[in-house]
Amino acid sequence: MSDNKTSQLITDGLWYNNGIFVQMLGMCPTLAVTTSAENGLGMGLATTFVLLGANVVVSLIRNFIPSAVRIPGYIIVIAAFVTIVDLSMNAYLHDLHKVLGIFIPLIVVNCIILGRAEAFASKNGVFASAIDGIFTGLGFTLALVVLGSVRELLGSGSLFGQALLGSDFHPSLVFVLPPGAFIALGFILVGVRWINAKRDNEAA
Amino acid sequence: MSQTNQLMKSSPHVHDGDSVTNVMEAVIWALMPATAMAVMIFGWTALLVIVITTLSCLVTEHLFLKLRQRPSAIADRSAALTGILLALTLPPHAPWWMCVAGGVFAILVGKQVYGGLGYNMFNPALIARVFLLISFPAQMTAWPPVTPLFSEQSYSLGDSIAIVMTGKVGAPELADAVSSATPLGQYRTETGLGKTVQEALGGGYGGYDEVRAAGGLIGGSLGETVRCWGRWGGGYLLRKKVITWHIPVSMLAGCLVPATIFWTYDPAHFPDPTFHLLTGGLIIGAFFMATDMVTSPITSKGQIIFGLGCGLLTYLIRTWSGYPEGVSFAVVIMNAVVPLIDQYTRPRVYGHMA
Amino acid sequence: MFGFMHGGGESAADGGSPALSAIEMLPIPQRLYLPLRQHAGYPSVPCVTVGQKVGKGEVIGRADVWGSVPLHAPTSGTVVAVTACPTGHPTGLTQLAVVIEPDGAERWSEAVQGMVDPLNAAPSLLREQIRAAGIVGLGDECFPSHLKLTPPRGKRVDLLLINGAECEPGLSVHERLMVERANEILSGIQIIMRIVSAKQCFIGIEQGKSAAIQAMTQAAWGVAGVRVQGVPAMRPHGVRQQLVAALTGKNLSLGARLLDRRLLVHNVSTACSIHDAVWRGRPLLSRVLTVAGGGIARPANLEALIGTPLRHLIDHCGGLQSGVDQLFLGGPLLGQAVNTQDVPVLKSSTAVLSFLPAAGVAKPQQPCIRCGRCVEACPMGLVPAEMARRVRKGQLMRVAELQLHDCTECGFCGFVCPSHIPLLDTFRYAKWVLQAEKWGRQPPSVGGGHALSERDGTAGEPAVVAPPAVVMAEAVAVREEVTVGSASGKGARAVRAAHAARAAKAAKASRDQAK
Ligand code: SF4
Ligand code: SF4
Repeated sequence: MSDNKTSQLITDGLWYNNGIFVQMLGMCPTLAVTTSAENGLGMGLATTFVLLGANVVVSLIRNFIPSAVRIPGYIIVIAAFVTIVDLSMNAYLHDLHKVLGIFIPLIVVNCIILGRAEAFASKNGVFASAIDGIFTGLGFTLALVVLGSVRELLGSGSLFGQALLGSDFHPSLVFVLPPGAFIALGFILVGVRWINAKRDNEAA
Repeated sequence: MSQTNQLMKSSPHVHDGDSVTNVMEAVIWALMPATAMAVMIFGWTALLVIVITTLSCLVTEHLFLKLRQRPSAIADRSAALTGILLALTLPPHAPWWMCVAGGVFAILVGKQVYGGLGYNMFNPALIARVFLLISFPAQMTAWPPVTPLFSEQSYSLGDSIAIVMTGKVGAPELADAVSSATPLGQYRTETGLGKTVQEALGGGYGGYDEVRAAGGLIGGSLGETVRCWGRWGGGYLLRKKVITWHIPVSMLAGCLVPATIFWTYDPAHFPDPTFHLLTGGLIIGAFFMATDMVTSPITSKGQIIFGLGCGLLTYLIRTWSGYPEGVSFAVVIMNAVVPLIDQYTRPRVYGHMA
Repeated sequence: MFGFMHGGGESAADGGSPALSAIEMLPIPQRLYLPLRQHAGYPSVPCVTVGQKVGKGEVIGRADVWGSVPLHAPTSGTVVAVTACPTGHPTGLTQLAVVIEPDGAERWSEAVQGMVDPLNAAPSLLREQIRAAGIVGLGDECFPSHLKLTPPRGKRVDLLLINGAECEPGLSVHERLMVERANEILSGIQIIMRIVSAKQCFIGIEQGKSAAIQAMTQAAWGVAGVRVQGVPAMRPHGVRQQLVAALTGKNLSLGARLLDRRLLVHNVSTACSIHDAVWRGRPLLSRVLTVAGGGIARPANLEALIGTPLRHLIDHCGGLQSGVDQLFLGGPLLGQAVNTQDVPVLKSSTAVLSFLPAAGVAKPQQPCIRCGRCVEACPMGLVPAEMARRVRKGQLMRVAELQLHDCTECGFCGFVCPSHIPLLDTFRYAKWVLQAEKWGRQPPSVGGGHALSERDGTAGEPAVVAPPAVVMAEAVAVREEVTVGSASGKGARAVRAAHAARAAKAAKASRDQAK
């Protein structure tokens, strides 16, 4: 495994093949829990942990699991990690766990995780799968934090709970409500494409 | 056979001379009586609200088209029209930042992200109003009492600027300004507490007076209060054939027919149809909002269905939902159904059965 | 306060319309050019030789089949050529025509004979007389009248509708005819009623044309079964469906054809020429047309001999204004642009129009605002806005679903579109691409790029170009190929290849010709 390939896994996971910005996978948690940057970060890290664990285990068992039942197999693996996350968050980050609520157990059905297991971990070695899991997860976290920050800033005037914009700013409630998630994500996507297009132009 | 230098063109060789700009201008003219009335009734603040909103629409349109590297289209007047329409849905003391936010949202999210004029799904002015209503519920439902221009209650120009620029309607000397509820709001709150319509609105609807309502002399958003003048403008558009009767008539019918039925059934709990007609934004909505061409069906049959839907939803929202007024929600919801309506109301092609 | 007038365009369309100027007889020109295909159906066959003297009304083009009509010499004179001459088509393509040099004597041919007592004659004799006189519907479709007067077996006509509205905006031919020749029109109507044994006739005249209504009412006084009826001014004018709806309350767009409703529609000028043909034996030798538009110095209604070159009409009306660069044969909506004043007046020519550069459709295109005016205007019940949207998106198959092929290319939709979208050109383009695809070939790119321009082609010039001659020739060649190669299978492909070469050759030929 060359460095080259590793660095490509890293940049792909973080940016070029970002689960949210490019593949538009895992929209439920993305839109639902990003009412603040903190929520986004928590959700992102939880998912990253699950991704890492699931990728490693799936990669380990990839040669033993019959292909006809591989999806249920992956789901069980993922579910195990989700349970770990769920219980430990409940124990150590109880407040955040209360906010994220049902979306923690729902990580099980996050398409990004199943997608990486099926598309990557089941065909690659443990090390590569681990790298892929970590950076896909961090890419996901990045997206959620960006979206969460934008929504929190516009919707509550604060960032990570710190009031930023002063009392003259009138927070726009809609951004902490579901429609705001769609609108904000739309504009973030515009921004991402714009950056990419600009760089492509320069490269060309 | 000598050739002369006539240009070759294909038919049709003439045009009835109308243009999009004309259409938009006609609608703007038609809104002028209502707008002037709004300023008369609410004073300078109304004028400031209208000017700020319209300007922010124009600036957004210009900048965004520039960003998209398209020729600026503010000359087609559609952005100005959106601005005026949006302003008419705002409360008379709307603070400046709300006007700007609404204007930017209307053009950016309501129109340009879809591809600009002609491609938007939702009425830009109404989608912006809905946005503001959800975002800033307190400011969007602060209804000051009417303060006709040049009357005793009216604010001076300086006070008006202060109100709009600081958003502090409750400055000490203006404190009593932030009070009255709209009749629709009053009806919903009070009947919600178990009172009858008569009790809610005062004996014989005393507090709410039909004549004053028709003339616009009750609280509400700029456009809501000027219904009678709005209807004039609507009539002008009909005469000029800018709009057809289908949407306004069917929208009014869609709201008033169920209103009549329920009122006949139980006058204690359902106000009479004139109450529905003369309060809130039904008239201005029926003539100016629902008739927006881009976001309404293209065939007359479809327009009738659309209008009925708008009216009915308005009635449902006013009577049973969490909001006292539902014209903008109703129209926006029906906007979403327009492609479907269009699909099923195509005219029958001549010579084809069905 | 309301300083602008919406819809002021009506006057642009009617610009300089000589609504009330009486019909003038145009002097005989120096030469007459008589193309042999002037009606729908099989062209007539020339039956004169160069140098032959012909009398007024003498047959110069034979009708060999029942579906065709003969062509007559409009005045007495000498045949100087039977040759190709330009026709009113944008391609500038030519057509076989008989050229006559008038002798000015106006000597009638002996063959011209009126009928005695036609109102009691057998319908078949009347039809034959009408056919022999070369009468065609004088709207713009030019369908031979005797065919239209022969209902298919099992069909009956109860009600005759006479269309007194103009074919297109800006014309006043029918109005003048009704004012000046009401009695002839009435007599023609009676003959038509006799032929199809209709019991009743409604004459529909637009309200507001009071002189015409008065004249026709007077003429119809006491004539059994005939009634003059004002109909609302129609926009666009003279659409048959709208006329029928206005006159009978029957809505034709409900899928029925005219004859299924026992209806027949003719227009007043056809009725007038039927009178001349039957009572006086006069063939169709001349027609009334409006010469108008801002580019014409003195607009007028002229009665011109068939075959008169446009130049003669235009000179009679004071010539073209300077700066004029557009000339049309036919009405503003359906007319053809012509590139030379040598084009002759045909039986189908309703008008000669010329506009100053500002008056036409030359305004930048704007995005469709879904105002629905095109839907309202389309006489065929189509949804032009939606069709155009699909063409712009390249969804041609989905355009066909919207019955694109029912579009009669009347142009009403483009006339009313406030966004100045070249709707008709878009449809022509789409039809043509669909045809080409059906024939299994890649369409070459076409001149008027607007059809597929950027979706909000605000910057677009109003590029209005019919498929160029090259393309037309190619299309013709392809059509031949289909007839030949329709045997299908592998053989067909070979045939197609062979014909592709021919098509390219034809295209080149016409390109050369265009130079
Ligand atoms: S040109 Fe075609 S689509 Fe347009 S109005 Fe005429 S028939 Fe309808
Ligand atoms: S008339 Fe023009 S602008 Fe109006 S709907 Fe039709 S195509 Fe669109």
